[in-house]
Amino acid sequence: MAYLSMGEAHRRITEYLNRFSDAVTYQNGVSFKSLFALSSNSHFLLSLADAIALFNDANRLINQNDNYSQFSDIIIPLFRSLQHYKQSNFLETYNAFEKTANAFVQEFRNWESAWALEALFVIVYEIRVLAEKADRQLASNGKSPEKLKGAGSLLMKVFGILAGKGAKRVGALYVTCQLFKIYFKLGTVHLCRSVIRSIETARIFDFEEFPKRDKVTYMYYTGRLEVFNENFPAADHKLSYALKHCNPQHEANIRMILKYLIPVKLSIGILPNHRLLEKYNLLEYGNIVQALKRGDPRLLRRALQDHEDWFLRSGVYLVLEKIELQVFQRLVKKIYIIQKQRDPSRAHQVKLEVIVKALKWLEIDMDVDEVECIMAMLIFKNLVKGYFAHKSKVAVLSKQDPFPKLNGKPVSS
Amino acid sequence: MANEGSHTETLAPLESHLFENRLVDASQHQTSSYAPTTSGPEAVSWTVQSSTANGVYPNPTYQYDQHPQPPGRSVQDGQSVSSVAGNTSNLGTANAPQDYNAYTSYANSSNPYGYGSSTGYSGYYNSYQQQQPNHAYSQPVGAYQNTDYWRLPKQQWIYKSSAATPVQYQQQYTQWADYYSQTEVSCAPGTENLSVPSSSTSGCPVPAATSSYATPNNQPPQSYPQYWGQESSTPAVPSFQPAAVNSGDYDGYWKHGAQTSSQIHQTSSQILQTNPIQPNYQSHLDLNSSYDKFQDQQKTVSSQGTNLYFPPPPPPPPPQQVNLAPLQSAPPLDTKQVSKFQIPTNPRIASNLAFEQSKTEKDSSTSSAAMKPAYIAVSLTKPTEKVSSNDAANSILKPDTFPKSLRGYVERALARCKDDDKQMAACQAVMKEMITRARADCTLHTRNWDMEPLFPMPDADAVIKDNSLSSAHDFVLPKSKKSPRRSKSRWEPLPEEKPVDHPLPISNDTVKYSSWVPNEKDRKVVVENKESKEDSWRNAKFSPLFQRMSSKAPQRPFKKQRLADVSIAHENGNASSDSDKEQSLAAYYSAVVNDTPEELKRREIRSKRFDLGQTQRTENNHSRKKNARAGNLYNRRASAMVLSKSFDDGVSKAVEDIDWDALTVKGTCQEIEKKYLRLTSAPDPATVRPEEILEKALLMVQSSQRNYLYKCDQLKSIRQDLTVQRIHNQLTVKVYETHARLALEVGDLPEYNQCQSQLKALYAEGIEGSYMEFAAYNLLCVIMHSNNYRELLSSMARLSVDSKKDEAVKHALAVRAAVTSGNYVAFFRLYKAAPNLNTCLMDLYVEKMRYKAVTCMCRSYRPTLPVSYVSLVLGFSTAVPSNEANDEKEAAALEECSEWLKAHGAIIIADNNGDMMLDTKVSSTSLFVPEPEDAVSHGDANLDVNDFLAKAPL
Repeated sequence: MAYLSMGEAHRRITEYLNRFSDAVTYQNGVSFKSLFALSSNSHFLLSLADAIALFNDANRLINQNDNYSQFSDIIIPLFRSLQHYKQSNFLETYNAFEKTANAFVQEFRNWESAWALEALFVIVYEIRVLAEKADRQLASNGKSPEKLKGAGSLLMKVFGILAGKGAKRVGALYVTCQLFKIYFKLGTVHLCRSVIRSIETARIFDFEEFPKRDKVTYMYYTGRLEVFNENFPAADHKLSYALKHCNPQHEANIRMILKYLIPVKLSIGILPNHRLLEKYNLLEYGNIVQALKRGDPRLLRRALQDHEDWFLRSGVYLVLEKIELQVFQRLVKKIYIIQKQRDPSRAHQVKLEVIVKALKWLEIDMDVDEVECIMAMLIFKNLVKGYFAHKSKVAVLSKQDPFPKLNGKPVSS
Repeated sequence: MANEGSHTETLAPLESHLFENRLVDASQHQTSSYAPTTSGPEAVSWTVQSSTANGVYPNPTYQYDQHPQPPGRSVQDGQSVSSVAGNTSNLGTANAPQDYNAYTSYANSSNPYGYGSSTGYSGYYNSYQQQQPNHAYSQPVGAYQNTDYWRLPKQQWIYKSSAATPVQYQQQYTQWADYYSQTEVSCAPGTENLSVPSSSTSGCPVPAATSSYATPNNQPPQSYPQYWGQESSTPAVPSFQPAAVNSGDYDGYWKHGAQTSSQIHQTSSQILQTNPIQPNYQSHLDLNSSYDKFQDQQKTVSSQGTNLYFPPPPPPPPPQQVNLAPLQSAPPLDTKQVSKFQIPTNPRIASNLAFEQSKTEKDSSTSSAAMKPAYIAVSLTKPTEKVSSNDAANSILKPDTFPKSLRGYVERALARCKDDDKQMAACQAVMKEMITRARADCTLHTRNWDMEPLFPMPDADAVIKDNSLSSAHDFVLPKSKKSPRRSKSRWEPLPEEKPVDHPLPISNDTVKYSSWVPNEKDRKVVVENKESKEDSWRNAKFSPLFQRMSSKAPQRPFKKQRLADVSIAHENGNASSDSDKEQSLAAYYSAVVNDTPEELKRREIRSKRFDLGQTQRTENNHSRKKNARAGNLYNRRASAMVLSKSFDDGVSKAVEDIDWDALTVKGTCQEIEKKYLRLTSAPDPATVRPEEILEKALLMVQSSQRNYLYKCDQLKSIRQDLTVQRIHNQLTVKVYETHARLALEVGDLPEYNQCQSQLKALYAEGIEGSYMEFAAYNLLCVIMHSNNYRELLSSMARLSVDSKKDEAVKHALAVRAAVTSGNYVAFFRLYKAAPNLNTCLMDLYVEKMRYKAVTCMCRSYRPTLPVSYVSLVLGFSTAVPSNEANDEKEAAALEECSEWLKAHGAIIIADNNGDMMLDTKVSSTSLFVPEPEDAVSHGDANLDVNDFLAKAPL
């Protein structure tokens, strides 16, 4: 760092303070929000941090002028936070920033219009990001990470301020999304429910009036929740909405959406193009799609095993596992097609032993009873039309459309 | 005069000036307020007293004794006084108001003679004591020892009457008696008078004074408070009060003590001077005159006529003289005594101090918020206020000096220990220390007391230890042990060496009145404090009052001394409330009245006896401690519970600072069998089994042939005992595992879940156990009973590679796959091959799985399905019927299966061969889940009323 003179330090601090009071005076939200964006690593703020470190009497400077001193509750901890941030001491950064946030929220409540919404967003974002960083630091020091949880309750408070009527309501969805991020990270997904309820039941405010980015994020998270609930049509709807409205430039976001949308689509019988998987680097699904196409339970099991960890962590493992029945359906269908080619008149009678033989060939060790059970389930779940004759060990398929397609409907349970 | 002049010079001019200012204010108010009330009775009492004393008990010997002393003392005075500031005289005036308090109260007392005389003395004394705070800071530290030493006896005296251990006190008392020589003799009765009534009322000496006060106080209520208030607000005050307030209240206190002695010296010196002026050595007159002289000096300094009222207050100087003479004449003894006696006192005092202050705070807050009617009725109120506002030390304790939040904090803290005086005292000690510290860091007003986490409940035992151990070492140990923890946790920079390094500041007040509580170990007082706010008020706020009392104690002796030659019996008769104790004491004192040389010897002897008394006391305390121990444990446990509750609300970092070890109960119960009873209060160690017994209990349960309900009950009680004693080891794991298994065997899922969650934590601590087995159970449980996909996912994701290789875990995972895919064939195969108790968990899912399977089969199979096949697939019968015995079993299984099918609405027909067939097509529409036969309306079969009744006789 180049040598910083006292005067320069003073100048930088005063400049910041001036920007702050100007932004408030002229209700300049854009300029205002840049004053809080710690993680943006803007040169302005970083150099300010240096100045504060050098000029250790910044508080006096703030309290000197009435323009600043009325915001001293916001600025003083913010300066402290900035200093700690510069030193990568995120725990202290968070603690100080939390104070700033609380003071800001108090102030924000008093502002009639929503001009400072952007700044509030920045603060909400910083709170989350800094809490995550602080938690990481805490965890690495062997302490229990609890800051993110604290951030969650703080944001809940912010949500409460925004969720009412009026112009500020537009910001509610942003905070909701940040809350989702926190809750998903903490694994306390059940906490989302109350937030969702207040968003979706509020009739006074049309969902479409929210900013697009928030809508996409919101749909993504609620879609994921539906995946957990195995409510595939709803999940499909929400994730598709997110995908449709997501900015195509943001490929990472699209990939995140696809990561959940693909399993959902698979389980309702819609297969992705391999190029899609390639484009968004979701090749983990490649073999699963392949297994579905080929009717190859072995490939499916291998694919599940290969990426078990990844699937488990993303929470799609169970969804993918359920695809196995579809794979069996495909296998039986293949047998049926082969039989049809040989002898169309007897094609609708699929002998159990043939299937067992096919599975043997696929190195899947299943005895007759188990295969019979699978057949029974296929019929039961309406993946195969027909019946099973236990006495003769033959599956008798319907002559019309023996293998109905799912066509966007989930496998009946 | 010359003496005094020199003293004044030693003092800083500034200081003296300040004092003067203050004096002026004080004296002004004093005059106005004081005049109406006291002057009348005072004068009367005085006259009466003097007449009676002289007339009724002409005491030639007495006078004689006194005279020789002055000369000897003058030298000593010079030495001792040197340290004392010349201010004393000024201060004396300033403090006059307090004197008046004492005086008034006493003057009004029913017994004009005894009280009147004593009043005068007390007043005098008070003035001295109160003066002391003024110079407090200017005083050399060394002085305090003297003071304390001097004061201690007083406390003990007061105490003695109320305290349960008369022997010790007596001994000490006698010791003191030596020092006080004849004075004490006379003192005893007076003391008793004061203390006895008090003990009768509430165990607190103060009440007695109160009663006597009552009338006089009613008159001057307004004037007094005013006066005090003014004084506090006086510009001069800063010099005086701030010092006390900021630097640590206690300093003031203790310096008080220090000054007392010095002042006494001074007084004596003055007396010496005055003596020559007044040739008449008549005891009262003489005293008066000398006193007047003294007053005059003061007056001159303060240049206020205020003191006019002073003279009436009787003849304090002479008694003091007497007192001092012995004191100073035996300097070596003194020091020795101090070392022995004083040092131990300090620590005790420290703890007491804390107690006192916290008490005060609480009191102040409570009193301010809610009126104390009792208080008013007693009409003690006024003095209290006066005292509180006036006394420097006490001013710190004034409610208004504390931020509201702090008061709230204190209240909260104290609320935790509602019905335990020891706890209370300990709490108060902690709080006092806290506040002192806060004051020291100037954070008293800045700290957010509302957010301040409540300190962990102090160990009442420790405090008791402190109290009980009279030796300094003993005291220091527990203290230091305790403080580091606290300091580490939340109270910022807390020096753990505080009690050791700065015994003076903390314990400086060592305090007169507060110290006696622990010293004497009078629990009653503490209890009383807690019980009645007024009392506590008195205790805390009324330190001056106590001072008065204590000062009175020595004074009484003087009177006695005068009377000493007169028959003691007579004197006793005079005393309003004479007890046997008193008489015995009187005997002691009468013996004490002697000339100096003999006295010295005796003093030595008695000092030894004193030592003996000390040891005796310690012993006594020890035994007491033992007795109290069980109760203490109980309390500690209770406090722990409170703590855990109070710390629940997110102040997690404080929790780790709780010294759980200190709060843990150690069981003493030797019974192997114990019924489970949910604790609704802190556990009693007598009913808690120690680890080795618990081990036996576990074995007993494991080998028991009795039913599950009995075992469950026993295991729960074992678990409770483990929890209570915080035993986290393999035994704990074993107990939980045993219970979990038993619960699984009978399908008691709620109980199993409790055990499972505990086991999870225990395994996480790294304690060996059947980790895999229970991981498998956990998986199965999640899969089949929680139906929560996220939980299942996280459970699966948590499984390590190693654990996935474990047989039980693999089985559980396979079961999971079978369940999620609905593969009933696989499920029932796994059901048959389940390791450990996996079967038991699966049992709970079998019904569901069977029903699903049957619906599936009815849908898929046409036209019929042999029941034998269904029986096989659904796990009713085993796979391969090979021999006769199996056939029978097979038949039974078949029968069971068909029964089950019928019960679920399936239609069974017989085919040509007579085999039972399931008519799938018809059945597919008729299947239903029957109401379980053992269903109970409240949903939990385990809570069936019959079971419950069966449980009762266990």
